[in-house]
This record gives sequence, C-alpha cells and structure tokens, in this order.
Amino acid sequence: MTEIVEPSGAARAGRRSGEEPLVSVRNLTKYFPITRGIIFQREIGRVHAVEDVSFDIFRGETLGLVGESGSGKSTTARLITKLIESTSGTVSFDGQEITKHSRRQMRPIRREMQMIFQDPYSSLNPRQTIGQIVGAPYVIQKTERNVKRRVQELMDRVGLNPEHYNRYSHEFSGGQRQRIGIARALALNPQLIVCDEPVSALDVSIQAQILNLLRSLQDDFNLTYLFISHDLGVVRYVSDRIAVMYLGRIVEIGSASDLYDNPRQPYTAALLSAVPKGYGENGAGARERVVLKGDVPSPVDPPPGCVFHPRCPQARLVSGREDEVPEKCRTEMPPLGEVDSGRFAACWYPVQPGQPLDLAAKA
Amino acid sequence: MAPERGFQGETLLDVRDLKVHFPTPDGVVKAVDGLSFTVHRGETFGIVGESGSGKSVTNLTALGLVNRKAAQIEGEVLFKGRDLLKLTPGELRHVRGKELAMIFQDPFASLHPMYRVGDQLIEAVKVHSNVSKKQAEERVLELLGAVGIPRPRERFRDYPHQFSGGMRQRAMIAMALTHNPDILIADEPTTALDVTVQAQILELIDHVKREFDIGVILITHDLGVIADVSQTVMVMYAGRAMELAPKDELFRKPLHPYTWGLLDSMPRIAQKGTRLLPIEGAPPSLINVPPGCAFHPRCPHRFQPCDRERPAFADRGGGHPEACHLTIEDKRRLWAERDARRLGVAV
Ligand SMILES: Nc1ncnc2c1ncn2[C@@H]1O[C@H](COP(=O)(O)OP(=O)(O)O)[C@@H](O)[C@H]1O
Ligand SMILES: Nc1ncnc2c1ncn2[C@@H]1O[C@H](COP(=O)(O)OP(=O)(O)O)[C@@H](O)[C@H]1O
Ligand SMILES: [Mg+2]
Ligand SMILES: [Mg+2]
Repeated sequence: MTEIVEPSGAARAGRRSGEEPLVSVRNLTKYFPITRGIIFQREIGRVHAVEDVSFDIFRGETLGLVGESGSGKSTTARLITKLIESTSGTVSFDGQEITKHSRRQMRPIRREMQMIFQDPYSSLNPRQTIGQIVGAPYVIQKTERNVKRRVQELMDRVGLNPEHYNRYSHEFSGGQRQRIGIARALALNPQLIVCDEPVSALDVSIQAQILNLLRSLQDDFNLTYLFISHDLGVVRYVSDRIAVMYLGRIVEIGSASDLYDNPRQPYTAALLSAVPKGYGENGAGARERVVLKGDVPSPVDPPPGCVFHPRCPQARLVSGREDEVPEKCRTEMPPLGEVDSGRFAACWYPVQPGQPLDLAAKA
Repeated sequence: MAPERGFQGETLLDVRDLKVHFPTPDGVVKAVDGLSFTVHRGETFGIVGESGSGKSVTNLTALGLVNRKAAQIEGEVLFKGRDLLKLTPGELRHVRGKELAMIFQDPFASLHPMYRVGDQLIEAVKVHSNVSKKQAEERVLELLGAVGIPRPRERFRDYPHQFSGGMRQRAMIAMALTHNPDILIADEPTTALDVTVQAQILELIDHVKREFDIGVILITHDLGVIADVSQTVMVMYAGRAMELAPKDELFRKPLHPYTWGLLDSMPRIAQKGTRLLPIEGAPPSLINVPPGCAFHPRCPHRFQPCDRERPAFADRGGGHPEACHLTIEDKRRLWAERDARRLGVAV
C-alpha cells in the first residue's frame, strides 16, 4: 500500500490536525486531448479541465464545490469516483490510494462511494421499475436476501410511497425521480456520496425538499458528501466547508460561513456579489456588486500567471489602472496560501475585509 | 378589472381576465385561467412562478404567438389601448417585433447559425423600416455598441457560435431594440447563463429600460432575479395570479401562503443557520387543477372554503391584491410565526 502523504494545510483548510480524511486529493490534474484527423489522430491542443487540485473531505462533513460552468467541477467528481483516469495526481479513499487501482481492486471501494446526478431523467432507465433500479446494487453485489423489503424501507426513508415498488420511473415527477436516484445511491450503505448538481433541474419548492432530505440522511446514515453546484445559495445551505473553482483550479477554500462573509480571493468576492440578492440579506449580500468584465477564458489556452488576472478587479485596484495589472499576477500563478486561520486563497493581493473591489468606486 | 397599484407612468399593457385553454386528447390544459395585470412605461414588471405555471403562455398570447386555432383565448390584452387579441395576423406582425419586442432564454434558438450576426440584425432593421443597407448597418453598429458589445465593427462579421452565451443575449437585446419598442418582454433571459454573466445581462436590461424609456416584463422562476431588478412582482401558480405587489411590499410583507413557501424554499447566500421550509407535494397538472384555490392541497393553512370556493384576486385590506381566503390579520400572524420557524426559534 502506498504511503499516505500528510495532508497539506490548504487541503485541510480549517479542520483540526490529527483527523483522518475520508477522501484525500493531491495535485489532481486532468487534460482532455483535442484531436484532429480521423485515421491518424493528431493532438492539436488540450482542455485543462482540472489543474493541480488538492483537498480533503472529512468523515461526516459536506464539502461544497462551487464554480461556474466549465470550471472543472464534474471532472473532479468523475476523477474521485474513478469514472475517468487522471492525467496526474492522486486520490486516496479511506487511507488507500486508489489512483492506480484496477477495476477488480476498485470493486469493494465502488460500493463505498456513490453518485447522484443532476438529471434524474437520463440517469434512470425508463424500462425499469423502481424496485429494479433501487434493488440493482443488491443483485449485482449479491448482498441482500430480502431485496424487496430492503428497497421498500429505503423508498419510505427517501419519501417515496413503498407501494409504488412496481412502477416505472417515467411515471414520476422530477423531484420523485431524484428521490429514486438517492435511494439507489443509499442501497449499499456507502460512506461517500458525490452529488453533482443534484437539485439544479428542480423547481425551487422541490429543490428545498430534496436539500432537506439530503441533510437528514447525512445525519441518519453518517454520510460524507462532496456537493457540487453552480448555485451559491444551495452550496451554502448544505456545506460545512466550500472550495471555489475557476478554470480548473481551486482558488479559495475555507469554512462555509467565513468564506461567504469574507471572501478573500477576488473571484470569490465577485462571484458572491453577482448573486441576485433575496431580501433582508446582509453579510456577503451587503457588498457592492462587482460586474466582471468579459468572459471566462478558454480552458484550452488558460492565461499565463494567475488564471484570473485578465478579469481581476483587485489586480486593477493594486495597479491603480484599468488597463494594467501587477507583474506578479501576469507571470506567476499564486499558490493557495493561508490568508486567515483555516482559510486559503490563491491570490498575490488578497481582498481585505470590507474593501471595495471597484476601481471606479474607489476613485 | 386590473388591480390598482402605485406605479406612476403611462399604462402600456393592460391584461384583463385573460384565459388561455388548450384542448388536448387528455383534457383541457388551463394554462392561463383568469389573469389581470398592467405594465407601465419605466416599470420592470416581474412574473415569477415555478415551471408550468403559465408564465410563457401568458406572454406568448400577448405577442400573438399562440395559435388561435389550437387554443381557446378569452379576455383582453390592451396594448396602448388596442386589444391585441382582436388584431389580424398582419396587424399583429406589425406590432410584434416593433412596438412589442421579446428575448428568450436561449438566444441560439433565435439566431440562425449559418448567417453572420451582423447580417441578421440588418435584416431585422429592414423588416419594419424602409432604409438602405448602409443606414441599417449604421443602426446595427450603434445598437451593438449600446448593448455593450466591444469592437462592434469586428464582431459584426462573426457567426453566432463565435459569440459567448452572454454576447448572444446582448445581440438579441440589440435586435429587440431595433425599432424603439415600448415594451421588452424577457422570458427567462438569464436562466441559461452563469451568475457573473447573468449579473451583466440584468444590469444591461435595467440600463436599456432607462435609456430607451420602455416597460419591461421579466419572466423568471428565480426570486433572486426578481428581487434584483423589478419594481412590481406578480406571483403565478397554476395559471393564476396568487399575489401582485410592489417589490418591497412583496418581499417584506408577502400575503399569500404560496409566496411564503417560495420565499422559504430559496436558499440564500447570506443566511446562517436558517432552515428551508419547503412546500409539500408538487404543482398540479393544468389538466386537473384542484377545485377552489389551486394551491389548497399543498397549503399548510387551508381551511373550510379553500377546497370549494376559488378565492377572488382582490385587495383584502393588505394594500395589494392576492387570492387567498385567510384574513389579513391571520396572514400577518402566520407570516411572523414562519419567521420564527425559519430561524429555528421556538414560538
Ligand atoms: N470528455 C471531455 N472531453 C473534452 N473536454 C471535456 C470533457 N469533459 C469535460 N471537458 C471540458 O472540461 C472543462 C471542465 O468541464 P466540467 O468538469 O464538466 O465543468 P463543470 O462541471 O464545472 O461545468 C470544460 O471546458 C469542458 O468542456
Ligand atoms: N400549445 C400547447 N398545448 C397544450 N399545452 C400547452 C401548450 N403550450 C403550453 N402548454 C401547457 O401550459 C402550461 C403552462 O406552460 P408555460 O406557460 O410554458 O409555463 P411556464 O412558462 O410558467 O413554465 C404547461 O402545463 C404547458 O405544458
Ligand atoms: Mg458539471
Ligand atoms: Mg416558461
């Protein structure tokens, strides 16, 4: 067995030392080749989907992974669950490095890590009954004798009517299908559930039902979640700690409430300020909106230096000019450095609490 | 009759008791079932509701985009005094795209992938006005600049796929503004966009509203978006209005249990330790709308008349119209109790 590297500070971000993480990700990187040609495929470039990502997930906690579309969240999830192979870096689960595990070696670990997806429509086979869908893991793993009773217990626990055991998944609404997906994930009593945008396709009233269900299941089954969403409100509601991704990298990580109240990385600050405010919100909500200029650069050709520098309002504040950023930002990617106890941000000039981010506002 | 509200400004759109029913083999879909509201110049009128509540059908009907043969349409849609439901298709085409403009969630659907963005905009200019190609091009460049597209002269030659999602939505807004419309209808304009781009587009819509002095109807399922940019908000459920009020009023003193449920279902970014209080169950099929109040099966406060009598959409003394049998006193008390539950305090 490979030796486990002592988690670095940033990966631990705010958790006490001495605790053993359930999942430990180190320097995880995934490039997707872009090829041209049909017979002789030439690589003409690569998508930097995930770049040098490290974090730990501790038992019983929810680590939220937030970022805009294309920032590498789903790829990270698929790397952790070994649905795809990494380009480099390691993933350890329950003390074992699994990065190089064969299919066979993975089998006992597979049951410990389950996934829930955004789209309850495409992830369920319409020709199968709920009984077949939720019971499938027992049949495959040959674990449960009384499959029907066990499945009905699970159905009841996730808020489905156990009498619907023989119904087909297409007879159910979006929210109920997501409950089926959750029951299936719970069947083998996993330790980790990776939730990839589990409520993004649902209406707000149904979304709240599912979020509360996930929270109560976590307590009952002692589950650990990696919870992925582009919705910052949703992520805050469920997470103990949060990591923010931008162009394949983690740019900030820390405890959920600290990070939201006091973002230190300029992208996190801009992202939070862009969320439409509900009513009566303060804290992060009180910050002036920073409207970022331009679009996210292509992950095929990420900017040199800090990946955020082309759009960074803080870099412009530091230089005092709209068209100039400090040399460091242009040339060197900042490491995830500890900017506060337990808080790590990738920035050469971290945002100070209460500081405005708008050059125009400052002038 | 359209309810009284405080918004000053010329009335542009006055929708009166609109009904849009679609007969289908499975039954009649009551997509819109007795809806009244008014939109003024200078106002952003937000329509919020979960999917399938009739938001899009309401506006497609106003735009004359619902096939009159496929639907039974009743009521009036008065646009600057003229009933749009009585216009001939030819007259409607003249109004639509010119005085009444619209943008949708997916700008790709409205842009042809094989033609340059600039050329498509020029076509849009020429449809309703008799100008030379050169004049049309100047107008397009001016509009592209006005909606914040950098280097319009270069981007003019791009194809739609060379534009990012945010840029495409900007181009659509430019197209909508071509003929100085009175009303811009935006149906989920930012739903497909990332939050930082959404912020840019919402800011642009607000800017355009002021700059062009128009009225905006903003349709969305997202209460946060509504809170951000609208002055007046109508909450829809099952093809009906549940509540209509100035925005501050709606968020601070909501009067309808469905609105309470929506507000308490929405996770906020700046709330610690509050609990979501979801609405039980799921929205009804519009073929089988529950009798009485359409919301009663999911309403924790339902009582005697709710499953029989449909509550009128009226002002019951709360200062803004709503459709619920509870008295104002009861509503105020219940809302305060929910505050406590949300914060996890015992009452
Ligand atoms: N199989 C693949 N082949 C090529 N590029 C991919 C593949 N999967 C994802 N990508 C790219 O990797 C980047 C990150 O994608 P993803 O992890 O899905 O982001 P997110 O889940 O944050 O939206 C995107 O640019 C995406 O287009
Ligand atoms: N042409 C049509 N025929 C039958 N039903 C329709 C038609 N158009 C819309 N509907 C139905 O009307 C209801 C309201 O739809 P819509 O206005 O699109 O909702 P929203 O925009 O609020 O999500 C839905 O149940 C939808 O299926
Ligand atoms: Mg994803
Ligand atoms: Mg719609």
